[in-house]
Amino acid sequence: MSEFRRPGRGLVDYDSPVKFSFDGKTYDGFEGDTVASALLASGVHLMGRSFKYHRPRGPVGAGSEEPNALITVTRGKGRMTPNLRATTMEIYAGKETASQNRYPGLGFDAGAFNNVFSAFFPAGFYNKTFMWPKSFWDKVYEPFIRKMAGLGPAPTEVDPDNYGSVYATCDVLIVGSGPAGLAAALAASKKDQDVILVDENPQLGGSLISSPEVTIDGLSAADWRAKTLKTLEKSGNVRLMPRTTAIGYYHDNFVALAERHTDHLPMVEPGRIRETLHRIRAGEVILAQGAIERPLVFDGNDRPGVMLASAAQTYLNIYGVAVGKELVVFTSHDSAYNAAFELAGANVRIASIIDARREVHAHLIEEAERRGIDVHIGMVVSGTKGKKRISEVEIYESVHNDRKRIKCDALLMCGGWTPSLHLWSHSKGSIKWDSQTGVYLPDKANENCVCIGASNGDFGVKAALDAGSKAGGGRKTYKTEEPDFGVGEVFDHLPSYKKSSKTKAFVDFQNDVTDKDIKLAVREGFHSIEHVKRYTTNGMATDQGKTSNLNALEIASKALGKDAPQVGLTTFRPPYTPTTFGALCGYRTDDLFEVTRKTAIDPWAEGQGAVFEPVGVWRRAWYFPQDGEDMHAAVARECKVTRDSLGIFDASTLGKIEVVGPDASKFMNLMYTNPWSKLGVGACRYGLMLGENGYIYDDGVVGRIAEDRFHVTTTTGGAPRVYRHMEDYLQTEFPELDVWLTSTTEQWSVIALNGPNARKLIAPFVEGIDLSPEAFPHMAVREGSIFGIPTRLFRVSFSGELGFEINIPSHFGLAVWKALFEAGQEYNITPYGTETMHVLRAEKGFIIVGQDTDGTVTPQDAGMNWIVSKKKKDFVGKRSLQRSDLVAEGRKQLIGLLTDDPKVVLEEGAQIVADPNQPIPMDMLGHVTSSYWSESLGKSVAMALVKDGFNLMGQTLHIPMAGGVVHKATVVKPVFYDPNGERLNVL
Amino acid sequence: MSFDIKIDQGVEIPEVLQSGRVVAELAGEKVRLSLRVKSADRTAVAKALGFTLPAKIGATSSKVGITCACLGPDEWIVIADQDKGGKLYGKALKLASKYDMSVTDVSFRNIGITVTGEGAADMINVGCPLDLRLAAFPVGSCTRSVYEAVPILLYRRAEDSFTVECWRSFAPYVVGLMAAHRSGAAST
Repeated sequence: MSEFRRPGRGLVDYDSPVKFSFDGKTYDGFEGDTVASALLASGVHLMGRSFKYHRPRGPVGAGSEEPNALITVTRGKGRMTPNLRATTMEIYAGKETASQNRYPGLGFDAGAFNNVFSAFFPAGFYNKTFMWPKSFWDKVYEPFIRKMAGLGPAPTEVDPDNYGSVYATCDVLIVGSGPAGLAAALAASKKDQDVILVDENPQLGGSLISSPEVTIDGLSAADWRAKTLKTLEKSGNVRLMPRTTAIGYYHDNFVALAERHTDHLPMVEPGRIRETLHRIRAGEVILAQGAIERPLVFDGNDRPGVMLASAAQTYLNIYGVAVGKELVVFTSHDSAYNAAFELAGANVRIASIIDARREVHAHLIEEAERRGIDVHIGMVVSGTKGKKRISEVEIYESVHNDRKRIKCDALLMCGGWTPSLHLWSHSKGSIKWDSQTGVYLPDKANENCVCIGASNGDFGVKAALDAGSKAGGGRKTYKTEEPDFGVGEVFDHLPSYKKSSKTKAFVDFQNDVTDKDIKLAVREGFHSIEHVKRYTTNGMATDQGKTSNLNALEIASKALGKDAPQVGLTTFRPPYTPTTFGALCGYRTDDLFEVTRKTAIDPWAEGQGAVFEPVGVWRRAWYFPQDGEDMHAAVARECKVTRDSLGIFDASTLGKIEVVGPDASKFMNLMYTNPWSKLGVGACRYGLMLGENGYIYDDGVVGRIAEDRFHVTTTTGGAPRVYRHMEDYLQTEFPELDVWLTSTTEQWSVIALNGPNARKLIAPFVEGIDLSPEAFPHMAVREGSIFGIPTRLFRVSFSGELGFEINIPSHFGLAVWKALFEAGQEYNITPYGTETMHVLRAEKGFIIVGQDTDGTVTPQDAGMNWIVSKKKKDFVGKRSLQRSDLVAEGRKQLIGLLTDDPKVVLEEGAQIVADPNQPIPMDMLGHVTSSYWSESLGKSVAMALVKDGFNLMGQTLHIPMAGGVVHKATVVKPVFYDPNGERLNVL
Repeated sequence: MSFDIKIDQGVEIPEVLQSGRVVAELAGEKVRLSLRVKSADRTAVAKALGFTLPAKIGATSSKVGITCACLGPDEWIVIADQDKGGKLYGKALKLASKYDMSVTDVSFRNIGITVTGEGAADMINVGCPLDLRLAAFPVGSCTRSVYEAVPILLYRRAEDSFTVECWRSFAPYVVGLMAAHRSGAAST
């Protein structure tokens, strides 16, 4: 076994050895190890290269706060994940891992020349330098910087894994399973309430796992933990969730938990869910996230082998790994002494404890001396040596200018403790500055939430346990034996004899931000920590500054000569730790990413080889190509057959609203521009709806089914907002009306038949309706049956041909469609899609709301004044139509365009000008809104919104296109086909 | 022309979906009416229809083959088996001339999916954020909610039995989510 292993310690399974690879080399570890712990056990500290200077780096921490040891893990094809923390990646047999941001290799990295020239890369360097020439940014500078200053490469393959997402509700959600969290869960479990306890680590217990010298109520910390977990498991009302990170805390105690199911397993059966996003609504949230140890900022503090003292404790007590053979401890807090003593007890030589403070409790010094450890009070580490790993530290005393060198293979540092306020901040809980300990602490909660234990500044096991019991609704006070957690001193700078230009003392390890960068930012005028952060990028790495924010704040506030609270604290935002996109998507990938609504007839269209297009969240048949036809040919054929004989079209997606009640016609009068009172039962009318602003909002045909019942249709995409618009006015403006609205869009399948043979087709199958033109004129609706199925049969036309829209209950839609199609063979019936529908209506000059209008078009602009009632006292939008700008001259108006070359089909959206020879920028008069090839007319037709268009009839306008081509077109009325509507009356 | 019509509810989804002990299946054809009644006429309309229109939003009344849920201050939905509900629409239409109310047939707008078995609530919670613990959503509760991106109507028939109603074009999405959860849950 490796000389760094301490068998008998830790939670790893010494009977289950595991081999894994790092940068192609095989390493040994045990089940329960992380990549970091197993590499450390093999004597490897060098695990990565830094972001900007490519400096060699090893792990600083042992958990999710790790800024340095970022690796890429490959779990097979499509399963490459970059930027994972080696300190949280559990190993399994055959796991493939690799370091990042190095070329050609981790040991020798060519990018390290950045480090040599680092004096030229201060904060803001890239912004200041790569300014010119501007055109170089996209092609040269940015790709280069991205490559050089990098994290791992982003995956390019589709993620083949499955993810899940669920909701849950609980009474109490506890985040963190250290002593505070466990005691809270224990107390809460005794009440009749549902409790969820989550912890990001594989093992529950937090600091209790690495506190062998602590006893709780007479039990060792380990035994108390085991007993407590067993009690909780048995309780029946506590859900324990290890490997689960509370990533975000949102309004009303809504907390997102990302649970990792499989990443620690060597073999995963196909289809198994990798991660689940639990969306929890909690009655109360108890945050027991603990605290993160703070690094010290000194020259060379980023050398592999320099790490947090608590991390060394964790490696020893959870993984049975000594991080070195000969350690130096550098601290400004008592807690590091305990770490040193514990490691000494595990047969690790502690060369020295360097304490930056001038005064330290005598008993700590005595304890150290009893173990044969030198203690240097009032000294600091002023430099480190060693290439892939630290080999020596230099210590320094500023008053007497003493310097001394000490050999070591690891340096543990402790600059105090920072309570974890991340989730508290997400919840918008306020914070207060504690000048004594130099930390921010939770102040007033914004949600039903408490913050306890170390994350509330209550350090020590007993304090955490008691706070936990209280938070969980208990009253227990615990008896513990534990070393005093002690006190510390916060240093806003550590003395050094070196010129600052010769030093590199890192604050943010992951983004390579040094103390000098922060001072430079202040000198350059950045006085808020939010600005300092953005200028230096301190705290903007994937670790969100878990180890760096407070050090940066201390340095900035000293440089500014202000108290820390005046400089501020940057805001924590979700997620707490980097989270996979997969977890955020959950089940909502591929077909489930967004709803695709399909009509009942859709399967038939699919069977016919229809090409589909999305319309809102509906998918609609676009056209039906036959025998290798392209879209142009298919649409031309569909148009021709429909005009010559018969076309069948699925109009089921049209929005439908049933407006019912004694005041139905009053309501219709208010919602539409035209009058409805005199519309007889069985008659239909085209309706135009405006917004309050007077602009066209929607349109559609409305049939009066009964005195008190209207069958309203809307555009496909407009259905939800028209319903909302109506309901909004009904509830807020016209609550006195006795009328009710029901969406019936999906109640009905709608089959539109258009063409001279439409009546002949349905005649044999319709019962209860006299189809003769006299009895059933254009714009009428009748109730009867077709094929024995009850129908609301509309005689309407959006094509200019004789047309019927057959409404049948949607569950019968497909069957009726198939029957009509079969019977229609006699008439060479053609199914047609939305493109042909658009062409047919454009030939007639019928508008499509949202295509020929854009939310700024009035009825007057659209040439539809005929539909605006002059007599009605009120309707929505009426007053706005009198606004001076809406009646002003020179508004854009909807006109028709015929190209001089009839073969040219204008591009929809193309700009229109009067004089193409005008220098750019030309005066743009408007744009083409609809443009199609009309097979029936043998020429192209277009509609356009053009400034003062009504006054330009007969004039020539120009449509300049990219590449210098300019099309000429003549302004005409937008009715191209059968202007007198005679074809509606075919017998 | 003779015509053999087959009712298929207009959606392509598996009729039965099993996940552990939970079974999700199509509820079959139902008669569904949207009733809007002014409060003064509530009792009289209920009496004429032959079942209770519960006054409390979220409450339901049930008799054999007919469930009536109150969804808003003046809004009820009636979901009935076809043999019970066949004449209901006509009956309600007649009442509408007498009372301050409206009735609209929405039988074919919705698809009903029953979710039954131990853990049914968890299957609902895959996409529905409601607190489905019995105290919060007791048997007999009915409310509008969402199933991820889809508006639904959720009715609890028994502790481990729910009906999810959604518009027919949303049904494949709802069932698709349930199926995705099923295949993941089966192995996790």
